[in-house]
Amino acid sequence: MGGALLYLTIKKVIYKQIDESLITEKTIIEDQIKQTDTIPDFEAAFGHQIEVKLLNYHVRNFQSIKDTDIYDPKSDSFIPFRYILYSGNSLEKKGFTISIFQIISEKNELLGDISLYLSFLFFSLLLISILINYLIARNLWKPFYDSVKIAGRFDIQSDKPLDLPQTDIKEFNQLNMVFDSMTRKMRNDYLNLKEFSENAAHEIQTPLAVIRSKTDLLMQQKNLNKDSLSLIKSINEATTKLFKLNQGLLLISKIENQIFHDKKRVSLKQIIEGGLDNYKEIMLLKKIKVEIEGRDEAYVEMNDVLAEVLISNLLSNAVRFNIDGGFIKCKIDDTFLTITNAGLAMTTNPEDLFRRFHKASDNPQSVGLGLSIVKMITDTYRMPITYTCRDTIHEIKLQYRLKGSIPGHFKQGS
Amino acid sequence: MKLLIVEDDRSLSRSINDYLKMEGHICEVALTFSDAVQKAGVNKYDCIILDIGLPDGNGLDLIREMKSNRITGGILILSAKSSLDDKLIGLKIGADDYLTKPFHFAELSARINSICRRSNFLGLNEITFNEIRINTDDNQVYVNDKLLILTKKEYDLLLFFMANRNRIITKESIVEHLWGDNVILTDSFDFVYTHVKNLRKKIIAADGRNYIKCIYGFGYKFIDS
Repeated sequence: MGGALLYLTIKKVIYKQIDESLITEKTIIEDQIKQTDTIPDFEAAFGHQIEVKLLNYHVRNFQSIKDTDIYDPKSDSFIPFRYILYSGNSLEKKGFTISIFQIISEKNELLGDISLYLSFLFFSLLLISILINYLIARNLWKPFYDSVKIAGRFDIQSDKPLDLPQTDIKEFNQLNMVFDSMTRKMRNDYLNLKEFSENAAHEIQTPLAVIRSKTDLLMQQKNLNKDSLSLIKSINEATTKLFKLNQGLLLISKIENQIFHDKKRVSLKQIIEGGLDNYKEIMLLKKIKVEIEGRDEAYVEMNDVLAEVLISNLLSNAVRFNIDGGFIKCKIDDTFLTITNAGLAMTTNPEDLFRRFHKASDNPQSVGLGLSIVKMITDTYRMPITYTCRDTIHEIKLQYRLKGSIPGHFKQGS
Repeated sequence: MKLLIVEDDRSLSRSINDYLKMEGHICEVALTFSDAVQKAGVNKYDCIILDIGLPDGNGLDLIREMKSNRITGGILILSAKSSLDDKLIGLKIGADDYLTKPFHFAELSARINSICRRSNFLGLNEITFNEIRINTDDNQVYVNDKLLILTKKEYDLLLFFMANRNRIITKESIVEHLWGDNVILTDSFDFVYTHVKNLRKKIIAADGRNYIKCIYGFGYKFIDS
């Protein structure tokens, strides 16, 4: 665009110059004719041709400047010319015509050259300016990108301050200050909330213990009638449920608070076998067939308590929602632990069960925390877990190890 | 058995006191750490039921003090925190058992009995109840001196009943005792029923009497009929 404009401008300037020189020459010749009625001497040079004709009659005043191509037999080509055609009358009222031809091919070549050089210059200028711009921008925006990078790594659970670098640029310092105060506030809110839920869960324990102890005492009294007994029974049931709920919340807050940070190498198969042992009688009663498939050396690097809670919750789920004469199949391969069990067809999205207080069954005993605790634990260790349900076959798939990784190389979420 | 209850919550300590007295124990209550230190220093207790979180001190320090002064007697920790560290430290420095609040009295009773059995080396490793005799060393049960083959859960259940004779035991407390409180089972009550039924059947088959009475909707009572 700029190049085209430049080309046109230069072309116009050259044409103007040619035209001016044509007019000047014409004026000189015209003046001489008018004053002396003679044709001046002029040398014909290549690319420059002047023809003057004197006429015996009066002609109309006329002037035009045009482009034309003239055939050159020597080079067998047309050569572009600019020419002026002028006709006028001398003092004796005799007409004359002047035509001056000026070759423009040379000037055109010049034009092309100038254009080429100019565009080269222009492009190199552009490149240099882009480069300089980039370098300046990189330096100028460096503190900004640094801040963005640090802010991107912000982890609400870690107690390290954000620690944004100081810069000489006022705006960035301002931005950093906003970042800093924002994250500080976020973290404070988070800690408050965490502390609150932890404290609440703890503080509820003692009153719960009192209620439970009183109902225990109450039910041991002699001469209780049926109505009182039924009342105590309801209190007892509600207390138990409250207790379970509180226990679950306490566990969740403990996982959030990184109480279980120490890690051990635990054998998945051993934990599963230990966990299944708890349900031995129940499975016998429900006629549930159990199958464990996998190697003993499938180890996972995590806290042993959490590993037990995780597996126990998964197994308890598989037992609870099983059907009479159903099956449980635990398969451990190099990367996945898959627990499949028979059950009833599900109406809700199975993935929803990982959410807190989301219950698939309307069983009053269930508090809906089991799988959310599972999710919490797997999130802590960055293990992807999926729950799928095809008709009556439920499948939980836990990727306990990264594909192709060396066993036991998990980074715990900080 | 002589017991010391160290618990700062008045209401709870009174309940524990009442229940354990009902069981035939002699109980004293200490509401503060200093009170507990004083009482433990003067009297000899078979078992101390100790809340860790006291307003004027940490219960764990009491254990350390007792151990350094060579005060004998079992120690059962009660804690609102089911913190693993507390539990591990407590057991490491000499506590015998650990119970998390809220607990069932039946469970407390069973734990105290178990601690006292272990800390008394006077041939108390045997529980005898009429024709039933339980040897807690090798976990064998005899009815009319005949060996009774029980599963692990049935054995635990019988021991639990023994520790809570003539008391109503709720199904919830049985579930917690047999499966631990981490297990949340929906139809676990049916399993309790099955286990109780099997236990009863086995005792009767060995010419024992039926001591387990079902309290409808609640649970069971082991009675000396």
